[in-house]
Amino acid sequence: MNSRKIKQFLGTLVRILILTCFFLSATLPLFWIFVTSIKNGTELYAIPLVYWPKEPTIAAYQRLFSYSNFGQYFKNSLFVTLTSSVVAMVLSVMGGFALSRFRHKKMKGILELLMYFTQTIPSFMIMLPLFMFFSKLKLVDNLPILAVIYVATVIAFSTLMSRSFFDRIPVDLEEAAKIDGCNMAQSIIHVVLPLTLPGIAAIFCFAFVNIWNELFLAVMMINKAAKYTVPVALNSFISKAGVSWDLMSAGIVVSLLPTMIVFGIGQKYIVAGLTEGGVKG
Amino acid sequence: MKTDKWYLLMILPALAFICFFIFYPLLQGGVMAFQNYSLFNLKDIHFIGLENFKTIINSKSVNFWQIMFNTLKWTVLSLILQFLLGFLLAMMLRKPFKGRSLYCGFVFYPWALCGFAIGLIWSWLFNGQFGVINDLLMKIGIIKENIGWLSNPKIAMYSVVISNVWYGIPYFGIMLLAALQSVPNDLYEAAKLDGANGIQQLFHVTIPYIKPTIISTVLLRSMWIVNFPDLIYAMTNGGPVNSTHILGTMMINKVYKEFDYGQGSAYGVIIMVLLLTYAVIYLRVTKGKGED
Repeated sequence: MNSRKIKQFLGTLVRILILTCFFLSATLPLFWIFVTSIKNGTELYAIPLVYWPKEPTIAAYQRLFSYSNFGQYFKNSLFVTLTSSVVAMVLSVMGGFALSRFRHKKMKGILELLMYFTQTIPSFMIMLPLFMFFSKLKLVDNLPILAVIYVATVIAFSTLMSRSFFDRIPVDLEEAAKIDGCNMAQSIIHVVLPLTLPGIAAIFCFAFVNIWNELFLAVMMINKAAKYTVPVALNSFISKAGVSWDLMSAGIVVSLLPTMIVFGIGQKYIVAGLTEGGVKG
Repeated sequence: MKTDKWYLLMILPALAFICFFIFYPLLQGGVMAFQNYSLFNLKDIHFIGLENFKTIINSKSVNFWQIMFNTLKWTVLSLILQFLLGFLLAMMLRKPFKGRSLYCGFVFYPWALCGFAIGLIWSWLFNGQFGVINDLLMKIGIIKENIGWLSNPKIAMYSVVISNVWYGIPYFGIMLLAALQSVPNDLYEAAKLDGANGIQQLFHVTIPYIKPTIISTVLLRSMWIVNFPDLIYAMTNGGPVNSTHILGTMMINKVYKEFDYGQGSAYGVIIMVLLLTYAVIYLRVTKGKGED
């Protein structure tokens, strides 16, 4: 009896220790970047390292938004990400519903295979032809075009995810609605959609996170500083001679906020989306 | 069958996006790989057969087989560590406790972060002179002088792998935790009655039960890691002396620095062919158990 209790106690202790390690290693890197962002110029490159600044300062953030024009980049990113996430969400809800309800089995199989195949295509495989195509049309440095391309990069995955959510809603519900006098559109809007709201939220969160974080396509399609998205702006901070790490850290902190907020709010949906409808990390 | 027409109409916009902006450029990119296609010389675009591939493989400045080996090392090491640590985290989270979902938020959030930004964060942590990792290790007394985490060709690959592991643990954590929670408790009870200890339960109950999840997540994640040069691009951009160059970063450099779209696309084709071959073999070996 006693030895079992000791064993149980030790087990709990080990568990707490391991969970603490995971917690610290997940949070400390970001915390350090935050500390770096509120240091002044001398503390930043002081040896021995300063673990907490004597007088925390927001000077780096001020420089970020005035001198580096980060507010504009943030707005650009927000515009592109929100537009393409909403469009991708609407189109994938439609497409996913259709894919789930198709009666022609062969057609359904082919469409699904097409969608899965797109998941193996590296994004840099398509970025060169896209760039050449749009530069001939003089449509580079164009944020709506970037948004359109982003819709395409997330739509297959979103559609597959939305299909798996619709798959779990019995067709009988729509049939019942039809008997009650609803047409197809009405039965979808009033009966099916409310049941899939969590799934739709998951699709939106996924699209938002993936698009907000995308770098390489944006570097390709955007050259003018006024049109930079946030990752492109961070990239431009390094290519200039030497990195000023207080400014960079402030930029990183600000750039991570939106997806962290989306993750914080949508965690439940994201986990459901990954585990039940997910085909990609 | 009449309603199928409506369904086709509903999926049409999504299909149109995929055809115009994915498949069409993909075909063009495939063609580019066999062309002399440089942004410096757009007037002279012509077919050169396998020349791009030959140039890549015979390159004197960058040993192609080293790049292949680096890609393998980057992928396998990252994958194994992400998986094992993600699995450990999921096991620790299996039994509910107060504040578990809040805790999950704090350990799973890296999933949502920008790969490029994570690369920047870790290059600051690993900084040889002002890096906090060197400083902490010295304080504890594990090392006596600064380590060049990203400047020493012998260890740079391990440093970028560490940051990739940090990024990838949440994915496996989330996926495996959900799978673990679906294992019926009766199975554990039955195993206990049979006298199975913790480790035996793990190998005879838990792992067989969640095998489908393991198979599909490992496949998807490994392909995703090969296609994920963001971190390396931010941390070392392939250096020092090509020790962290993988196929993806080589391609990025061909495009961004040398503007050689032909060779860039050839790298893309190599990556795709490798990944498709890998996926087919993987699914054969696991006999399609990973499919839902």
